[in-house]
Amino acid sequence: MSGIGLKGVVVIAGNYGSGKTETAVNLALNEKKSGFDVCIADLDLVNPYFRTRETRKMLRESGIDIVLPDEKYMNADLPILSPAVAGMIKSSYDLAILDAGGDDAGVMVIAALQDALRQRKVAMLQVINPFRPFTENVKGCIKVKEEIEATSKLRVTGIVSNANLIDDTTPEIIYKGYELIQDLSEKTGLKVEFITAETSLVPELDLKKFDCPVLPIERYLVPPWKRKTTRS
Amino acid sequence: MAKILMKGNEAIGEAAIRAGCLNYFAYPITPQTEVAEYMAKRMPEVNGVFVQGESEVAVGYMIFGAAACGERVMTTSSSPGVSLMSEAISYIAGARCPAVFVNIMRGGPGLGGILPSQGDYFQSTKGGGHGDYRLLVMAPDGVQEIVEMVMMAFPLAEKYRNPVMIVGDGLIGQMMEPVEFPDNLTVKPSNKDAWATNGMDTRGSKEKNIVKSLYLDPEELNNHNLTLKAQYERMKKEEIRFEAYNTDGDYKVLIVSYGTMSRVCKTAIDNMKAKGIETGMIRPKTLFPYPLQAVHDAAAKQSCKAVISIEMSMGQMVEDVERAVLGQKPVSWYGQCGGNVPSPEEVEEQVMALINK
Repeated sequence: MSGIGLKGVVVIAGNYGSGKTETAVNLALNEKKSGFDVCIADLDLVNPYFRTRETRKMLRESGIDIVLPDEKYMNADLPILSPAVAGMIKSSYDLAILDAGGDDAGVMVIAALQDALRQRKVAMLQVINPFRPFTENVKGCIKVKEEIEATSKLRVTGIVSNANLIDDTTPEIIYKGYELIQDLSEKTGLKVEFITAETSLVPELDLKKFDCPVLPIERYLVPPWKRKTTRS
Repeated sequence: MAKILMKGNEAIGEAAIRAGCLNYFAYPITPQTEVAEYMAKRMPEVNGVFVQGESEVAVGYMIFGAAACGERVMTTSSSPGVSLMSEAISYIAGARCPAVFVNIMRGGPGLGGILPSQGDYFQSTKGGGHGDYRLLVMAPDGVQEIVEMVMMAFPLAEKYRNPVMIVGDGLIGQMMEPVEFPDNLTVKPSNKDAWATNGMDTRGSKEKNIVKSLYLDPEELNNHNLTLKAQYERMKKEEIRFEAYNTDGDYKVLIVSYGTMSRVCKTAIDNMKAKGIETGMIRPKTLFPYPLQAVHDAAAKQSCKAVISIEMSMGQMVEDVERAVLGQKPVSWYGQCGGNVPSPEEVEEQVMALINK
């Protein structure tokens, strides 16, 4: 499997429910498999369910370091920022992924990490699913981008299309997402870092249509009736 | 309209707007806060109103006020918040005003936890507030059904001049599913001239509508309660909704389950079917009125030797299941209520234990 090639500190941001966590978790696994040292921090202080922390066992077994709030507060909706996050940013991982929460509220925590972030090369990716409310078009995506930048005190450096309707995703959905992200890239000058596609859909895609890497996605944050094994 | 991907909580808000509800009052609480967040963005776009009350007690009476004016109105909350609203709910039912309440349930009692639960079954179906009132209670099992039920809830509340409660556990609010919205509701509240407050201008020209729940005359209060009772009896005749799943075959065990829990049970039923074991399920879509007859008839099937109520509470719905089965087959309960949703494997174990008993 080939890596996406992102290095250093990468903040995964985007509007609420754009698929940041699935993207972050799959990016971590993909880059780990490509031979990089990878670490991920769950900075989602705004979402109560479906957070990176729910995949912690699987991530650790894959050799990925993961920074989480203290186990006893794991199921709280408290804004807990582990001091280990700043340490992780300063350490020498090939790739350190910060999985932020949704919208501008979700990246407020990034501003709090400014001091640590200033010492490293930092990329911030905006994940976009055009099949979610408020980001159906370029205008909506730019509005979210500006809100995220104002609150996080960081610039968005790249964009990612995570176009999907979960089980109802078709290749057309992914092409449509790519079209929008290309358009957004032209209007903003931002680089399309990669797009995502569920692993089972990748063989159906005409990869020649894309000028960027495709990150294959396995869904880990699924409701209990779709889980392959009992949650640990 | 094409499909989009929505959280249950967002779908609640959008469905209400499309049902013509332009009044939304709420107070944030996990795991339903996204409804308020969504409405804060969307209501200004449709010239609607969202006011965050200073507490759920205040919100309850904002709902009463808007409902008394004949406006379509909704609030959303989670378990402890609904407890605070219970007084107002009783007043609204007593004053015969239509309103829509949504409870995205979390673990209790007290502050409990923020993870999913179905622990407010009693609260929504058998009381909550004081007095002889009932709520029409619906329980969706996914995001698409949320849309259908929310859009249905407003006309139903108006038909019975009674609050409608939609209950979903936290997962129903938090999970994302593709969803399609039907056409907007264009029907306006048809009967509001008969009861909504009509202000000072009409003084002398026609009869004033007074919204109240105070009846000091015992005869009058008894008659008022009989009127309410007649409405609840009518609900029992006209509003029972349920889904029968895999009930054609010769099942030995009948599951009764609703909401998220029923989705897990469906997976378990499909898994067992693949192994040659038939299991039937009745999924109540209305918790009041309860599908007593459907559960009764499904339990009566000759092949069926046991009935089990599977719920994310410590045995609340099982009392209605017993009331339906009426002793013809043994009824048992299985559930968890800490926030962990039982897995399909755990459901299978429960069913197999009953088969092998």
